[in-house]
Amino acid sequence: MIEVRDLTYRYTAGDNPALNGVSISFPAEHIVAVLGESGSGKTTLLKCIGRFLEPTSGRVMLDDVDVRDLPELEFRRRLGLVFQRLFLFPHMTVLENMTLAPVKALDKNRTEAEDAARAMLDRLGIGDLAERYPAQISGGQAQRAAIARGLMLQPEYMLLDEPTSALDAGTTDDFAKWLRELRADTHFIIVTHDILFAQAVATHGVLLVEGCVEARGSLDSIVETARNGA
Amino acid sequence: MKSSVLAAVRTGMACCVVGLACVIGSGAAYGAAEPLRVALTGKYPPFSYYDAQAELAGFDVDVSREVARRLGRDLEIVATEWDGILAGLLAGKYDAIIGSMAVTPERTVKVNFSEPYYRSGAQLFIHRDNPHRIYDIDECRGRKVAAVLGETYQRYLEGNHPDIEVVTLKSSVEIFELLEDKRIAGFVSDRLVGSWQIKSAGRPFVPVGEMLYTEEMAIPVRKEDAELLDGINAALRDMRADGTMRTIHEKYFGLAGERTRQEAAMSGAVIAAKLARGFAVTLSIAAAALALGFLLAVPCGLILNKPHGRMALLYWPVRTIVDFLRGTPVLIQLLFAWMGLGLSPMVAAIGTLGVNSMAYMAEVVRAGLMSVDPGQVLAGRALALSRWQVFRHVIWPQAFRVAIPPLMNSVVALTKDTALVAVISVPEVIREAQAIISVTFEPSKYYFIAAVMFFIVTFPLMKLAGRLEARIRERGYAHD
Repeated sequence: MIEVRDLTYRYTAGDNPALNGVSISFPAEHIVAVLGESGSGKTTLLKCIGRFLEPTSGRVMLDDVDVRDLPELEFRRRLGLVFQRLFLFPHMTVLENMTLAPVKALDKNRTEAEDAARAMLDRLGIGDLAERYPAQISGGQAQRAAIARGLMLQPEYMLLDEPTSALDAGTTDDFAKWLRELRADTHFIIVTHDILFAQAVATHGVLLVEGCVEARGSLDSIVETARNGA
Repeated sequence: MKSSVLAAVRTGMACCVVGLACVIGSGAAYGAAEPLRVALTGKYPPFSYYDAQAELAGFDVDVSREVARRLGRDLEIVATEWDGILAGLLAGKYDAIIGSMAVTPERTVKVNFSEPYYRSGAQLFIHRDNPHRIYDIDECRGRKVAAVLGETYQRYLEGNHPDIEVVTLKSSVEIFELLEDKRIAGFVSDRLVGSWQIKSAGRPFVPVGEMLYTEEMAIPVRKEDAELLDGINAALRDMRADGTMRTIHEKYFGLAGERTRQEAAMSGAVIAAKLARGFAVTLSIAAAALALGFLLAVPCGLILNKPHGRMALLYWPVRTIVDFLRGTPVLIQLLFAWMGLGLSPMVAAIGTLGVNSMAYMAEVVRAGLMSVDPGQVLAGRALALSRWQVFRHVIWPQAFRVAIPPLMNSVVALTKDTALVAVISVPEVIREAQAIISVTFEPSKYYFIAAVMFFIVTFPLMKLAGRLEARIRERGYAHD
């Protein structure tokens, strides 16, 4: 379980905090969607959980251990993060993107890593992309390739930032189905402003408004609150 | 009591004698091990030039050999440019100049001259056709008269004939071209050398009028080398007394003058070998400087890319050094490294060109690093890669690919810049070409050949840069 306890983050001292005393728990058994308008603190929350921002106060716990006490490598292996802009490595093929971390960070054998990557791509239905460069694939394909790259480390949790921003409506439905199929091994936390997509993929949700938790619970109740609020 | 004092005195004296013996012994060993380093230009036939075997030869070379032999020292000849030859002596690059240097009051302030070893004089030479009807230096009023840059004739003309427009050129070869085209009225040169050069080059020039003045050629040494000066003077006196000086003089200016010209003519094979060897030196300097420059450019480019944060302390020093190197002529940097820092010509050449190209390549590396999306670092870190792994496998390959085409241009520029090291007497292709030209009198031919040699190397590099640029554009590396 990932737990955020009384988390506050200010980009510059004295300003209004981007996150203001946020406490949320993400139980492992649910796909949780973090909903909110842009500027509500979604991405800041995700960066604090992913240790790319040091919280001004408060703590992030991974299975009851403060993430700051975990060795970097162990933390990164257990918690994956896919950014909104994906950041596939443009000088590498999709296969090379996927094998870089297992080979360099985890010292895996290259051939084994490649076999595992191909198996992963096949399982995700994008096996024909292995030898392509990121510039040669579509936005939806790149989204899947980036998630596949993250899954190569077999993380327990994976944070996705606005995963539908590069997708059109039809692809979004396929993508939601595709994500649900993966949930057996990895627990997704999805940051999105797309309510339809959240409904298609998540069971539980959190609504952020101006850096504070406005509502939490089943996704339907969250959607209700969000609609009323808007 | 008395006897013990005596014993002490005796012991002390023995110590002194042993100490003295040590000093003398080491002094002698030092003298034998140190060769006499003598500078000349190698471009002043028949006093110094490269013969058919591409060996240094000439009147001054023969005198140098005899002097060194009489001093009991090996001879090491340093061929260097005339206009920096005194500065090189003062900087300790060599011990003496045996290069037909005339004694002048200005020079005597800086160095001590030996007794003269030959006398000659300033002579006006004109074109045989004599279009301006000139029979004396006074008839050159309002006309152009040439002299070699840095030679005493330039100063003499400017001081004594202010009505004459003095044209200064790097060598007599260039002066000959101008006079052949009648673009100058004449030139003033040493009477002996001028006559010899005109005959060797088969030029239609003739001496007119009396000698403007006579000069005494002597051997300068540094002021503090009084012992060396005494030795040289003794050697010169010895050479005059036993007829050696006369023999050497006759070898170059006696009746056998025609034969000397034959000796001086270089065969095609020797010329080719000289050019090839010179170009090999050029390429080695370029390669070594490139390796040095690139190795320094990577960390400097990294620092330049991070004006804030952990490397901020290094930013301003590196920024200043890079700007200074880019904003000052590489020629001055070369002369500074050679004379100012006292480095050997090869080390000064490689070091200066390397550091200079570092400045340009560091900017290229910085631009390459800047072109990589900072999000690439985040993605790499999120995948559990260490900072170094992210740099090595994610950032650097992208930055380097972007940097390759401009880096290629730096390589081309560096290769061309090696031509400059000729001025600090590195025996590279330009210097070899100049030595060939001083004997063959064919500047356009050999400068063109040298240019073509450069082009053969730089042209494929330029083409390759263009191709790589196109390929990188196809792959679309620049960020979204």
